[in-house]
Amino acid sequence: MIAKIFGILAIFTVFLCTMIGMKQWTLNTGIPILLETQPIDPRSLFRGDYVRLNYVIGNLKLNELEGDDEFEQHDKIYVKLQQQDKYWIPTAVFHQKPLINRDNLFLQGKVQYVSDHFWNPETQKSEEVKNVSVKYGIENYFVPEGEGLDLERRDNDQVVDIRIAVNKYGNAGIKAILVNDEERHVETLF
Amino acid sequence: MNQNRFLKTLRKELPTWQEHGWVSAENSDAILQHVGAKESHINLLTLGVAILGVLLLGSGVITYFAANWAEMPKITKLILLFGSMYIAFTAAGYFLRSEKSPLLGQALLVLGVIMFGANIMLIAQIYHIDEHYPNGVLFWALGGLLTAYVMKSQAVLALTITLAVLWTCLEHFGFRHIHFWFLVVWISFLPIIYYQRWTSALHLALIALIIWTIFSFFGIEYKNAQNTQVYLVQIYFLLYLALFLIGMLVATTENFHVFAKPIQNYSAFAALLSFYVLTFPDLQRGFRWHDSYRTEASTNWLAITMASLFVLIGLALWHRIRTSVNERPKYLICGQFLIAAVVILIALNLFLGGEYGGWMAIALNLLFFAGMVWLLFAGTHTQNRTLINLGFIFFALALMTRYFDTFWSLLNRSFFFMAGGVILIFGGYLLEKQRRKLTAKVLHNSK
Repeated sequence: MIAKIFGILAIFTVFLCTMIGMKQWTLNTGIPILLETQPIDPRSLFRGDYVRLNYVIGNLKLNELEGDDEFEQHDKIYVKLQQQDKYWIPTAVFHQKPLINRDNLFLQGKVQYVSDHFWNPETQKSEEVKNVSVKYGIENYFVPEGEGLDLERRDNDQVVDIRIAVNKYGNAGIKAILVNDEERHVETLF
Repeated sequence: MNQNRFLKTLRKELPTWQEHGWVSAENSDAILQHVGAKESHINLLTLGVAILGVLLLGSGVITYFAANWAEMPKITKLILLFGSMYIAFTAAGYFLRSEKSPLLGQALLVLGVIMFGANIMLIAQIYHIDEHYPNGVLFWALGGLLTAYVMKSQAVLALTITLAVLWTCLEHFGFRHIHFWFLVVWISFLPIIYYQRWTSALHLALIALIIWTIFSFFGIEYKNAQNTQVYLVQIYFLLYLALFLIGMLVATTENFHVFAKPIQNYSAFAALLSFYVLTFPDLQRGFRWHDSYRTEASTNWLAITMASLFVLIGLALWHRIRTSVNERPKYLICGQFLIAAVVILIALNLFLGGEYGGWMAIALNLLFFAGMVWLLFAGTHTQNRTLINLGFIFFALALMTRYFDTFWSLLNRSFFFMAGGVILIFGGYLLEKQRRKLTAKVLHNSK
């Protein structure tokens, strides 16, 4: 009986430690890059103590990017990123996983929506452009109570950037949240 | 009869039987002790109270720590999470081994699996793991399945089945596809149910399967629904009929016969539900979501429907081989003809577009009502009250639906409601009277 119980506990412990280990491996061995965020849609609700991060690379206009043109909802997508000034921006999108290294950096995501119209927040007009909304698994971040709303609905002079690490499979993890270039939250193992 | 009521009746009757000399005083005591020992619901109550107790304790502890969660360093959180899971499992092992309180042991085992799930969710939160979120529930269910198999715990299997339903719900409605992987997990419940003869778990597993069927119908993506739903429901009808036949085959075996009745009852319900859905004219035409007709079935739907049909025919032949002519009464042949007619219509439907949907709906409605009358007949002959009840419920449901379908646009609204009310009151009274009469007859015959 006791052997069975400890057997189950051992399997559960290995599984839970693998969850932590895989994330930590990405953070420790992945290539660090900086991503620009946009203020969250003011109508969206603050989900508990989570910050919902809205990345500039979360919405991709396909006509401005190289690579594949046809994507369906729930498709896997590899987004090629290149550094431009301090931020990394998308330059191409593909269905197939390419070789990933420091010179050829790709972020793996999942297509959430495909649309023929793009709402341009700057011009406040809808443009007829094929675009895809992509989720990279770095859109939610847990913060201590009360701090989430500040990050989601920031002041006009505040710039929130996210430093992520991308591993060789294209998976990403959040390393730090920066407000006006200052580290506000930094990820550690313990 | 309820065990408690049976015991009370026995206590009342036994002195009279003693007076008549039918039983001796010693024998009546022995009978009372024997029946009293069978009071299994007391055990279930104890298990229920114990599970409620550990759940309250668990939620109290979680709430206490949640209030102080933000201030805790990660290492403290991890120690608490892992520690509470270890404590729950170790305590379960202690109580199950000592055999002093096996029910408390079972309850603690359930708590341990709940803690495992809480650990998955909270570790994902602490380390910002934002993957495909239904997978968290899948791994939780797999942990439950492992525990149910290793510890031979029906309570944990019940929790696992519930988690599997939650998983498929998240997949269906979060990602809009037919979630076939659920069936793989569902099949993994069956070996332990069979080896341990767990009929309660079988009931739950069959309910889970029906819930999955309903989810898959509603979970289909909007743009695909028009040309998918009717063919999907047809396949469900054929496969649930096949499951009903499996139930009939199981009844003829020595090892499986305890499972026969639940399999037959749930599959009959699901097959009737599928048949009822097929009687909707809008579904047949493909008007449910669009203003155009549905197209003929694609090659994939054709192949799957034909494969289901072959399974059904194969099982029917197998049942025929296993049973003698005496076991197949004449009314069964009428039922077989009715089912054959429905199956022919289903096969024909694959090659017809939605333009013929109205005619198809009329034919299926006629067969549906004929089928319900046959079911009442079959239920009375086999003395199966469930079949009689199902027959009446679906008869009334279909009647009401067709009334709404047909007269909603034809009659003046107030007249529509008044006429509907009168039909419902008198129709309901007549149907209920007839149902009671038939079930009483079955009850009387079975005594």
